[in-house]
Amino acid sequence: MALLQIAEPGQSTKPHEHRFAIGIDLGTTNSLVATVRSGKADTLPDVNGQHILPSVVQYQVDSVIVGSEAKQHQVNDPKNTISSAKRLMGRGVEELREQYRSLGNTLPYEFSETDSSVPRIKTVAGDKSAIEVSAEILKTLKTRGEKTLGDELEGAVITVPAYFDDAQRQATKDAATLAGINVLRLLNEPTAAAVAYGLDSGAEGVVAVYDLGGGTFDISIMQLRQGVFEVLSTGGDSALGGDDFDHVIADWIVKQSSVDTASLTPGVQRLILREACAAKEKLSESDQADITIDFDKTQTWYGVLTRDILNELIDPLIKKSLMSCRRALRDAGVEKDQIMDVVMVGGSTRSLRVRELVGEFFNTQPKVDIDPDKVVAIGAAIQANALAGNDPDGNLLLMDVLPLSLGIETMGGLTEKIIQRNTPIPASRAQDFTTYKDGQTAMAVHIVQGERELIEDCRSLARFELRGFPAHVAGAARIRVTFQVDADGLLSVSAREEVSGVEASVEVKPSYGLQDSEIERMLKASMEFAGEDKDARSLREQQVEADRVLEAIDSALAEDGEQMLDAQEKQMILDARAALETARHHATDTQTLKDAMAHIEQVSAEYVARRMNASVQKTMAGHKVEEFDTSDQPQKENCLTKSKIEENT
Amino acid sequence: MTISTEVDLSQLNEKNRELQQLVHPDRFANGSDAEKREAMQKTSLVNEAYNTLKDPVSRLQYMLSLKGLDMNAETDTTMDGAFLMEQMEFREQIENVRTQSDPLDVLDSMSATLKNKIAGLIKDFQQFYQQEDLDKAREIVRKLQFLNKAQTEINQNVEQLEDELI
Repeated sequence: MALLQIAEPGQSTKPHEHRFAIGIDLGTTNSLVATVRSGKADTLPDVNGQHILPSVVQYQVDSVIVGSEAKQHQVNDPKNTISSAKRLMGRGVEELREQYRSLGNTLPYEFSETDSSVPRIKTVAGDKSAIEVSAEILKTLKTRGEKTLGDELEGAVITVPAYFDDAQRQATKDAATLAGINVLRLLNEPTAAAVAYGLDSGAEGVVAVYDLGGGTFDISIMQLRQGVFEVLSTGGDSALGGDDFDHVIADWIVKQSSVDTASLTPGVQRLILREACAAKEKLSESDQADITIDFDKTQTWYGVLTRDILNELIDPLIKKSLMSCRRALRDAGVEKDQIMDVVMVGGSTRSLRVRELVGEFFNTQPKVDIDPDKVVAIGAAIQANALAGNDPDGNLLLMDVLPLSLGIETMGGLTEKIIQRNTPIPASRAQDFTTYKDGQTAMAVHIVQGERELIEDCRSLARFELRGFPAHVAGAARIRVTFQVDADGLLSVSAREEVSGVEASVEVKPSYGLQDSEIERMLKASMEFAGEDKDARSLREQQVEADRVLEAIDSALAEDGEQMLDAQEKQMILDARAALETARHHATDTQTLKDAMAHIEQVSAEYVARRMNASVQKTMAGHKVEEFDTSDQPQKENCLTKSKIEENT
Repeated sequence: MTISTEVDLSQLNEKNRELQQLVHPDRFANGSDAEKREAMQKTSLVNEAYNTLKDPVSRLQYMLSLKGLDMNAETDTTMDGAFLMEQMEFREQIENVRTQSDPLDVLDSMSATLKNKIAGLIKDFQQFYQQEDLDKAREIVRKLQFLNKAQTEINQNVEQLEDELI
């Protein structure tokens, strides 16, 4: 209960033991894990001293191989060796076909037909979704973290591209759940990079973070100031990265060699891509690269890729990224010359051409002195450390935005925007609907994400069915739907019929996500596979949680229980506390413990709200309100109260 | 106290950061579910307040609401005819921008014209508001809403043109 640790400035909360938390950069091509030890953040190596874990998973009949070893099997076992799973996250099969237009329009894997909206790849170990593949990578990194730190982990911050939409974020969170990771926060990759860069350099001002990874591109315009990292705008392309450079080079090879594209087996396709990637990397150091491809035993092709040809091939892709930069600048209301630094992040910013064109665009020499591979994981570790509560006096604060507008479908297949892109998050917005038929007691809401006017040009997120509100004549019901975006950038929806005050139930059908039941099934399967004593472990976890709750409630009551609670309220909390303590020491199942915690949470909810209000009012009180508004102080409170009413009703 | 339409952005930002430090969900990552929910709702509120005060048009609208005028609940939306004509012409210009040889430049200069107009109207608002001529002040805000929409349309056209250029 962190709230209960709010202390007067200058007063420190009591010291507590260090809680271990990790930051994970779950990348398209490579992943890393980092942590803060003795005040210093660094990435963690595996037993062989390797920091980078290639994001490749090979499924065998009875085992799973992750990383460099799996990567070696890409050519000889392409069907069971899955790379770039991040590109598949939160996507449907049709969308994937769009993405993989090169190399004869073939998808890299064989997908099985299922009734789930999540595509599944056929492997010898059964059908696997991208979420499960990512979970294997996350598990490997989590284990690495636990082994290095020699302790249980409090949780992890996992980074996602800033431009990831709701479905992609949810898929990432689902993968973490499958891997048994407590997600402290989903953090945007450019924001993570800015934290590492900003704290290290002490830079203050407006910076642009240009993050070109293996499969995703992000641009974030940020204001850095005394430990506060405020995203002004973000833009990008969640399907643009170094992988695409490889694909255009591979296409060039295929064209030059005049080989029959229909004859290309998946293994040969991987081989061409591998050689394309090698040539690209070589051209960061020399002016030309020789390429040799053995199409089969009889047919070998030799060719030379020069830097000029490479530039011609990749320029359109880089220009696409610069368009996103233009847009992000406009959204932030920032001119190019106000940008103090352009920070280059992601392995693909090693490309000389990328550096050259980005430098030209921003009219400044981009910063390339930080390790573009590690910086995101390090930033994530710094935030994980703060979120775990190891930095109670610090003022690290990350203020992020919604990357893509959220909207709903209206009549005629049009989109009505509910929350605009680049709105600071968390954000909430209420929208009123009415019924169009007499006696109507249910309605459907289709939620989309994107900037376009037509519904079909936006991305379908989910369909919500609101049920159980009382029947009225047409147009008389007023259903207020509240859209809430949390700090992870994830949307939740609640609905209430205003006339009767009845809460409507909201049933979510994600367009491209896992149903809760599917996650549960996968979790069970993975638990059996892991073969550990799951029950004992989860009981232990709940006991730790219970201890924390008890400690927090005690310190809160000691601090202001007398002032903020009347005798009856206090007694209710004390009763719930006693029940929880009993359950903590005597309960043998997690459910009893969970129920006791839910109960204390319920009876103390009002207390929690009062404490938070008090701390806000304390800050407001010392200030003249004309500082930021035209009204006097009571009126300023009106503003908050007014919006509060709007939100709560 | 003088009522002003201007807002000191750096102070607004400062205040926003100060409040966020107190209520942001990052401060409660270790907290109970109730605290996390409370933090999320409070921060949403702070963000809403910040956005309301930062954007000139929503700020003026809020100032009117302090005087008891709710712009959203209005039914009377009669507007000055000359202004409407001008708006229609402006919209037409946006629609036909693709026939120009360099549509992006045209849109950029239209955007600059709009910004000037908006700044002028905000000055007018200030005057009426001080004189307590709220009907006139309200009419200004209505005009500003029109101009805001035109700006959104320009931006959308710019984005679409940019997309096509790729």
